[in-house]
Amino acid sequence: MALDAVFRDQWGRVLATLVGILGDIELAEDAAAEAFAIAAERWPRDGEPANPTGWLVATARNRAIDHLRRRQVLADKTTLLARDIETGLRPPEAFVDDSATIPDERLELIFTCCHPALALEAQVALTLRTLGGLSTDEIALAFLVPFETLSKRLTRAKHKIRNAGIPFAVPPDHQLPDRLAAVLAVVYLIFNQGWGGGRVDLAAEAIHLGRALAGLMPDEPEVLALLALMLLHDARKAARLRDGQIIQLDDQDRTLWDARQIDQGRELLRRAMAHGRSGPYLVQAAIADLHLHEPRDWGQIAALYRTLARQTGSPIVEMNLAVAVAAIDGPEAGLAILDGLDLDHYRYFHSTRAELLRRAGRDGEAHQAYRRALSAAQTEPEQRFLADRVAETAPSAVSEPRQAGA
Amino acid sequence: MQYALLAYSPPEDTDRASRPIPGGLAPLLDRPDVTGWARLHADESATTLRNDDGRMLLTDGPFIDSKEYLAGLILIEADNLDRALAIAAEMLQETRPGTAIEVRPILDGRFRGA
Repeated sequence: MALDAVFRDQWGRVLATLVGILGDIELAEDAAAEAFAIAAERWPRDGEPANPTGWLVATARNRAIDHLRRRQVLADKTTLLARDIETGLRPPEAFVDDSATIPDERLELIFTCCHPALALEAQVALTLRTLGGLSTDEIALAFLVPFETLSKRLTRAKHKIRNAGIPFAVPPDHQLPDRLAAVLAVVYLIFNQGWGGGRVDLAAEAIHLGRALAGLMPDEPEVLALLALMLLHDARKAARLRDGQIIQLDDQDRTLWDARQIDQGRELLRRAMAHGRSGPYLVQAAIADLHLHEPRDWGQIAALYRTLARQTGSPIVEMNLAVAVAAIDGPEAGLAILDGLDLDHYRYFHSTRAELLRRAGRDGEAHQAYRRALSAAQTEPEQRFLADRVAETAPSAVSEPRQAGA
Repeated sequence: MQYALLAYSPPEDTDRASRPIPGGLAPLLDRPDVTGWARLHADESATTLRNDDGRMLLTDGPFIDSKEYLAGLILIEADNLDRALAIAAEMLQETRPGTAIEVRPILDGRFRGA
């Protein structure tokens, strides 16, 4: 197995265990990084140990002990610094107990990283760093944030965890629903940050985290549902763009959809539904599944959006409901819903409204709305797509109603 | 760990000094994990001394000029932030709407017995 793959699989596990032992994320991270560097040097030469996790944890723990001892020595101002460091270095293998089962403490770690006492952007960065194993560079690039800003954000968060006493624990039952919702929100936010432009594929990172969570909490329907939702969305990735152009779902080449991922998503959705409890991710996954069927059952989709709107109270859900209603009762019915929403700040509101206006034959208004959407678009394919629509609905490009009537 | 709970209250019409501690709050302050507390006079009573490049400037009023004012501080002992937040939430239940409690870990300090 390539070391990169081992690194990816082991980093979160090893780091979580180390945080459990050392009680400090910063110290654990430094020690883990050293252990992985040693592994990168030795494993290709000596072969991979029988228990890679155990080896990495033991090596990192010894490194951390050395660090702590060095700090202690410095604090004591003893003159034996050099000798102590030397005697402190031992071959890590001597400490490895391959029969010992290393507890998986990634859940404790993710609940720490997604604690509501941390700012959301810090939760996101910390989760990607500690559980995803992404470098600070990669995270900064993915979120288009300067390296320094992200580095400070991570350091501040780690210090707050230590100084404010944010616990390294899975929350008790009475707090679990809220705290789990916070964790899932972070994972879904990472997923929605998207991919492209040579940046890290954050959707893949989110799915990776989702798989880990589903393995750790196999009886939480919302955890399974979130993974299902992400897999069902992501399965259409290859069909979503053609020559840099956004292809809308109805025009997508279905042979490009990832059938295996869709099967996985549907299986997870079934497992989640079997619990008989409805949550926002379950409803969204069910909607994502319905969107993959042809023809689309807009009546069911609209019904689920109504359920979701009740659960979340989100105007963005109402906006999606408007699209489903427009598909059933015509664009004016959808526009009537949109008119009641306060979503002026939301970039997709204007493109959604523009699309319904265009279908309703209100090209002048559609043109204005597309222009607003274009000014708020953030990715190149979006900009290209909207610029085309702006051109299509431009007054010169359409038959002028006034002239037609004259 | 030790935490300081800083309670900020919205402005009030009645005289704070003549009002007793809210009925539900008093027993909470007697809990064994509360290691100390202080209820403060309204912010009109505050005087602020500020070090301005070595010169001590004296001004009338609180340092932070906001609608809410620091009404009290409570020192507690808790295993971790979640426990501290739970205690703060219980106390917040017994306060007037608009009150906020800032939870700050204590770096070090000394608490003489009352």
